[in-house]
Amino acid sequence: MPASTSLSSKHHTLIQALLSRGPLKESEFRSIFHKVTGKSPDHQVFNDYISDINDELSYVQLELRKCLNQYDGKAYYGVVNTVSDEHSKLGTKYSVPQIALYKGILEAIVQDTAGEGSISNIDALNIRLENQVLSGVDSQSQDNSTEIPSALKNFSMSQKDKTLEEFVHDQWLCSISDGRIGLGVRSFLDLRSWFHDNEVPTCQVCNEAAVKVKRVCPGCGTQWRLVAKREAAEEQEADDQDGPSENTSQPDPSARKRLRTSKGVDRNTQESDSTITSSTLSGSRRLTRSSARRAAAA
Amino acid sequence: MSSARDELSQFDISNEEKDKLVGEVIRCILFKTTQNNGCPIKREELTQIVTKKSYRQKNLPAFVINEAKSKLSSIFGYELRELQRSRPSSATQKTRVGSSQQSGADAKSYVIISQLPADVYKKYVENDETSHVTGFTFVVLGIIHLAGGKITEDNLWHHLRRLGLGENEDKLALEALVQQRYLQKDKVSGPEGYTLFYEFAERALDEAVNRRIKEYVMEIVQKDASPRDAD
Repeated sequence: MPASTSLSSKHHTLIQALLSRGPLKESEFRSIFHKVTGKSPDHQVFNDYISDINDELSYVQLELRKCLNQYDGKAYYGVVNTVSDEHSKLGTKYSVPQIALYKGILEAIVQDTAGEGSISNIDALNIRLENQVLSGVDSQSQDNSTEIPSALKNFSMSQKDKTLEEFVHDQWLCSISDGRIGLGVRSFLDLRSWFHDNEVPTCQVCNEAAVKVKRVCPGCGTQWRLVAKREAAEEQEADDQDGPSENTSQPDPSARKRLRTSKGVDRNTQESDSTITSSTLSGSRRLTRSSARRAAAA
Repeated sequence: MSSARDELSQFDISNEEKDKLVGEVIRCILFKTTQNNGCPIKREELTQIVTKKSYRQKNLPAFVINEAKSKLSSIFGYELRELQRSRPSSATQKTRVGSSQQSGADAKSYVIISQLPADVYKKYVENDETSHVTGFTFVVLGIIHLAGGKITEDNLWHHLRRLGLGENEDKLALEALVQQRYLQKDKVSGPEGYTLFYEFAERALDEAVNRRIKEYVMEIVQKDASPRDAD
């Protein structure tokens, strides 16, 4: 019987630190590593620890992952969920309206044609949430006149404001100085494959999803260029991905120019996802920065 | 290792199937702990992961939970502590429909507890943002312990007020202790109407916790050599 690497209490300390304290800055995490193991957090030893941990965590579809906070350029480590199932869908303390708000903000940020990677607080509070719930619900019928849940109707401005604070505190969103809101570390950690599915442009050099794209790629510092040629390539990729899906929209040229709604069935069940986003995002609309730009120009 | 294989063969499921079930039970425990803010998870919530997949083997749920316990320890360093649900208090007593033959096993619930040494836990794992909650928990349990394991609501708040806590601001924190099964409430009728009592529930009655409450209280009492004013 193949023996898996047994994790020591040192490994456990690292895992529990991340689970208990949330995503940690790389410097902090490496410092804990050094204090716990007595070893210098240089490349090989540190990487071996992470790799051994991930071998074990894969048993329960979790992963110890590093990501980049695109606003301060710092790397963070966290334990993330890699598969969306009924347990992770329930494993959130947020309510349906709160998750709808998060989804709305996420889409607005990613759609932002200026590539700022953030939206104003006011805009965040004014996002229309009904669309979020409708597109995320696993509807049996094609009838789109589903009732807007009363929880959504009763979601007041002050409650939304409090929710924003909570998201910032929990690191799903972050507060950027001049009254703007951006994605938090947890979002960067968890949503890697959502970014991909929604064709958020990536840096050609380091593959980081580019949420904040002013001038240079936050991942590797490469000069960022969003050129027409890449947009065309993205559209091609989008069409290919659309093939086996059960979208009601037709894969014809005019459809590319509209924001597509994916109704009902999840496109695939093995999407990577987080506890907050899970199935609420898997049925969401496909957005591309280029289609948004086209819609704005129309 | 061969005994484990023998054990598995009696259930007629493959290793992969077993791993899948165990993984699911662990994920259920982890996510529910987050969602429920540390409230114990009922055993039936875990066993139904096995039974709802039409696995009919009688001892399979127990086997899977055992494996999950072992994995939680080896992967995360968490102990899966089993708690026996205490008798329901009179305030919450309901007739349990059709569950008479299961009442023994189903009264079990689970919490996860770190197996790291206390100093390591405090240094690297403990979340400073929630340590005041731990402090509050200890204070409440200590007071009730000194009162003999049961105390009236009025008396409890009398003592908490001396520490600067108040019924208006801190009622929710006390309620959380009830939800987390450290305490349970008991309404007792008397000549002047109802009196609300707080007493230890299974989490506080758990041997390890109970012992530590006693130890800490003893420590404090022994340190305090000077005479105190009577109330």
